[in-house]
Amino acid sequence: MNRRELLTMLGAAAVSGAPRWLLAQTPQPPAFDALAARDPWLTGWKTFGRESVGPTAATMQGRWPGSLSGALYRNGPAWFDRAGVRYQHWFDGDGLMQAWRIGGGRVTHGARMIGTYKFQQEERSGKFELPAAGTLIENPRSIRNNDDVNTANTAVVRLGKRVFALWEGGSAIEIDPESLQARGPVTWRDDLVAAPFSAHPLLERDGSAWNFGSLAFFRGSGLVIWRIGADGKLGQFQVLDTPEPGYMHAFAMTERHLVFMLMPFSMISVDGAFFERMKFQPQKPCRVALVPKDALDSPRWFECEFAAAYHFGDAFERGDDGVMRVVRHRDAEEARSPMASAMRGERGSNTLGTDLASLHLNLKTGAANWQAHGISGVEFPVFDARSKGPARIFAPCSVGQADAPYFNGVASIDAERGRTKQWRYGARILVEEHRFVARPGSTRPGDGWLLGTLLDYEHGRSGVALLDAEHVDDGPIAMAWVPYTTPLGFHGWFAAA
Amino acid sequence: MKNYLVFPAFMALGFASFAPLAQAGELTVSITNIRTDKGTLLVSVTNTEAGWNNQEKPVAATKVAATGKDSVLHFTLPAGSYAVQVMHDENDNGKLDANFMGIPTEGYGFSNNPQVMRRAHFSEAKFEVADGASSIVINLR
Repeated sequence: MNRRELLTMLGAAAVSGAPRWLLAQTPQPPAFDALAARDPWLTGWKTFGRESVGPTAATMQGRWPGSLSGALYRNGPAWFDRAGVRYQHWFDGDGLMQAWRIGGGRVTHGARMIGTYKFQQEERSGKFELPAAGTLIENPRSIRNNDDVNTANTAVVRLGKRVFALWEGGSAIEIDPESLQARGPVTWRDDLVAAPFSAHPLLERDGSAWNFGSLAFFRGSGLVIWRIGADGKLGQFQVLDTPEPGYMHAFAMTERHLVFMLMPFSMISVDGAFFERMKFQPQKPCRVALVPKDALDSPRWFECEFAAAYHFGDAFERGDDGVMRVVRHRDAEEARSPMASAMRGERGSNTLGTDLASLHLNLKTGAANWQAHGISGVEFPVFDARSKGPARIFAPCSVGQADAPYFNGVASIDAERGRTKQWRYGARILVEEHRFVARPGSTRPGDGWLLGTLLDYEHGRSGVALLDAEHVDDGPIAMAWVPYTTPLGFHGWFAAA
Repeated sequence: MKNYLVFPAFMALGFASFAPLAQAGELTVSITNIRTDKGTLLVSVTNTEAGWNNQEKPVAATKVAATGKDSVLHFTLPAGSYAVQVMHDENDNGKLDANFMGIPTEGYGFSNNPQVMRRAHFSEAKFEVADGASSIVINLR
């Protein structure tokens, strides 16, 4: 036996002896990576490509306040390519849970792919084999229920001491707060296995949370309303029939009411992935349910001119006027597949075409009317939930020149007065959601920080920035960077230590 | 409230007896993707629409403990058209558990592995058994 034969045999033995999941770890780099090498801003949509990273000590800049201590969890789609197939829809990527841990004079970063059933199965096989929300998968495996395709890729929340990765068509996936390992789908009650638990729970002051799930994903209509106690256990569950199917990603609430805005849609074909088949119907009105928190089965319905919206800001009631802040997408077709060009590795025509508006519900007459605020190019709104009236909206935005068709700044918006403060991070920095963090010990609404994440594609690094929420235009007080990038995510949650 | 995904319970399988058959061929049923080694696999073979729809007893049925990721069963059947359904009764309560929407929360599968998010129709699960040996694979979902 010569040396070549020996090496060949050893190589074959090594390969045949390797577990399948390990073989699946070493595919050819996705073709998209070459596009991202040519246009580095596409880094935000590259496949993460490994199971985990970190914890990594971040390089600190500025002065991190000693009173800020906790973890900024972030979630978002991060795995888009397998075996030469690339997802076409941003929402399809498997979820990546990240944690920026702040305190004790240091910042660390760690990230781990969320071990959903889908991710585990496809890691083993090395290919996409389960249906996706926005991309048709050839010859997919049959699924038992919606949790088989749950990517847990949209948001993260801490309820009580429990941390959950959230999607919108299935169960919350509990996450170990330290290791970021997935503990599995949450069953709040035996008959509620796999019931949809959406990505944007809203907290009451007592620490309990409201949430909903849309039954429109299951060829029906209606909503489920969840109330999870401050102890992380199910408090209330209510099914709410709706006049017709409507798409809804998030909701808003006032002191007394939950507000659900359903966007009419129809399925334009029998075959295909959900977001390929669905088409918004802008010619029809949106239905808006105002649901008393103390009478979940007694909604009051309104109709308003159509708007495509994923995210809502604050909501409040002032006399007979119920007001809800909404980020509207101007192009309903674009809203069906945001940043589709970037997913293809193309620049596309523009950034997300949005504006901030208020929906006014006249509690006396039952009329519903839009008020535009003339503020465009924003998304992922947050606010200080301590506000009892109109709150400032904080949102990533486009400021000045940017080399990428994505947000490069953050805005603090006083929609009542039409005043906006902005900070521009730069031409080559992609800006993600900024969470509002109340200053420890403060009670005054608005007193706190914004904690937001960044992708600096020019320098190949991801980071976190801290700004004074009342002086956003002064720019970051402090920043921290790690020497690698993670894909752009959607939503985060700050869990104070 | 409505069932948003209608998924009737599997038939009460007639394990004690079923119609005697002239022996002709052996059908091997390989069941794959068994997710847990808890509970019991209930397997029913029918050859008519009525049997599939729980209006007649199956021509063959068996139950076996779920002990691994795969299970192989053998049935002796005359040549003809058949359909097989499998239910993984993970908690041994005698039924396919479902959530409040009627969506199954335990494993199940059908011959031909039709890509449907509901209980398959007989026509979708139907296959032919010839004289001699034949085999099918049912991937549990």
